[in-house]
Amino acid sequence: MRDYEHLIVERHGPVGWLINNRPDALNAMNANMRDEFADAWIELDRDPEVRVIVHTGEGRAFQTGVDVAEIASDGVGMQRYRQSVEDFDLHFTSWHQQVWKPVITAVNGICCGGGFHWIADADIVIAASDAQFFDPHVSIGQVVSIEAIGLIRKMPAEAVMRMAFVGRHERMDAARAYELGMISQVVDPPKRLREEAQALAEKIAKNSPAAMAATKRALWGALETGLTEACRVGAGHLVSMWGHPDQEEGPRAFAEKRDAEWAPLEGTSGSG
Amino acid sequence: MTHSGDLRPYTRLRVERRGPVGWLIFDRPAAANAMDATMFDELERAWSELADDPLVRVIVNAGEGRSFQTGVDVVQMARDKDALREHSRRTRDAQLRFTAWHCDVWKPVIAAVNGTCAGGGLHFVADADIVIAASDATFVDPHVSVGQVAAYEGIALARKSPMEAILRMALVGRHERVDAARAYQLGIISQVVDPPENLRDEAQTLAEKIARNSPAAMAASKRALWGALETGLTEAGRRGAGHLTSMWGHPDQEEGPRAFAEKRDARWVPMEGARPDA
Repeated sequence: MRDYEHLIVERHGPVGWLINNRPDALNAMNANMRDEFADAWIELDRDPEVRVIVHTGEGRAFQTGVDVAEIASDGVGMQRYRQSVEDFDLHFTSWHQQVWKPVITAVNGICCGGGFHWIADADIVIAASDAQFFDPHVSIGQVVSIEAIGLIRKMPAEAVMRMAFVGRHERMDAARAYELGMISQVVDPPKRLREEAQALAEKIAKNSPAAMAATKRALWGALETGLTEACRVGAGHLVSMWGHPDQEEGPRAFAEKRDAEWAPLEGTSGSG
Repeated sequence: MTHSGDLRPYTRLRVERRGPVGWLIFDRPAAANAMDATMFDELERAWSELADDPLVRVIVNAGEGRSFQTGVDVVQMARDKDALREHSRRTRDAQLRFTAWHCDVWKPVIAAVNGTCAGGGLHFVADADIVIAASDATFVDPHVSVGQVAAYEGIALARKSPMEAILRMALVGRHERVDAARAYQLGIISQVVDPPENLRDEAQTLAEKIARNSPAAMAASKRALWGALETGLTEAGRRGAGHLTSMWGHPDQEEGPRAFAEKRDARWVPMEGARPDA
């Protein structure tokens, strides 16, 4: 297990926590943090004790995107960053790293610009009542692209486009994000965010890890194709569980009114 | 095809400039702004004119009178089918040329919906980037109530909004309307303006905020986001990375942070017509 400089990686029961920890820079992602994300997702995904992952931030911001200044100043950082985007070879979200465990993003405070990557690529998003969302890219001459491309498949597109074009001149609050279905829970008061995220994660951790992994593959895979093809692919994920011991254990535990003892899931990241 | 230099007056539209904002206003209120053959021709010309004008940063699309837009003029369809022959051909061949999306306009487009938006009027909601509406606006799709198929508008709207609401509108036809408040809840629109007479002021205000952003970055963002509706997620991301990096080295990327640091509005590189080959 490695040490992290800009992330905190913890376990609380069956829940793995990945916490952005660069609060003085509003958790902006520099080159080092980018590399740490790649490792931290894999570490949590490979840990069989971790059933669900929660991602949040320290301080008054969740995430504010790429720290361009710092990436540019560390010599090779900018060049590596450029290359990774040009090649679309990214490794800083759970989707990039093909983590098939459920991922909850718990948005504290500000989420802006590249911070939307972790909203677009999470399975479930909850936020503190004082969270704020905006996308200042076009206000500083940058293009809104990959994060918003993910978001417009998952929520009403008009709201995403409005954020994209209004830039830094307007913010969306947690209440509106909830109405739009961008997030599924607003936590008030804000200081209870982590507690609520842990409670939600523990509910999810009671479900079959193997069934959740196959479900996640089916649902994210559906964003890749037309509907009929998505169902065809989805059928494959569905039947992949037939004969799995969890499908015996689940009904038995239910009948016996006890928690199920699921087969442990080996780390699944990386395998498409 | 460009219409720059075409100085014929518009008879079904008003095309205006207010500061950096170009206005394209349906102006056939006696016919609820229904589109006849002349309006179809003028729309293509007007989108081109505003897209090619470097002083126009953002475009607002609105309607005169009690309606925003009510689709094809069924009176002309009944009385003079020949007049709409070219439009029918374009409909059949999926070569429509009357919305900003059809005409490859890569400047931000705001639809400001006043009053009724019916049937083919939904094209302009589906194909805008941002949609706001007066509090008394209503949305209805009567196609199936007159034996017509609801296709293009609903197809695009279903990608951008919760699909159940779009299917309900398509299948209930003229027997039910969606009001502005529900459209806002559903995320079909992002702002309800009350009282309704403030609609154009609010649209202008919103457009002026958008006009402060980098025109080149907005054009690339618009290509990335609309392009994402064409393919699967991974492929869309790959293409989006291309749009993202297309701006690297552009002077706006130096000017933006500098202006922010100096607490002043940025001086962006002006865009030539934002319709270089799509």
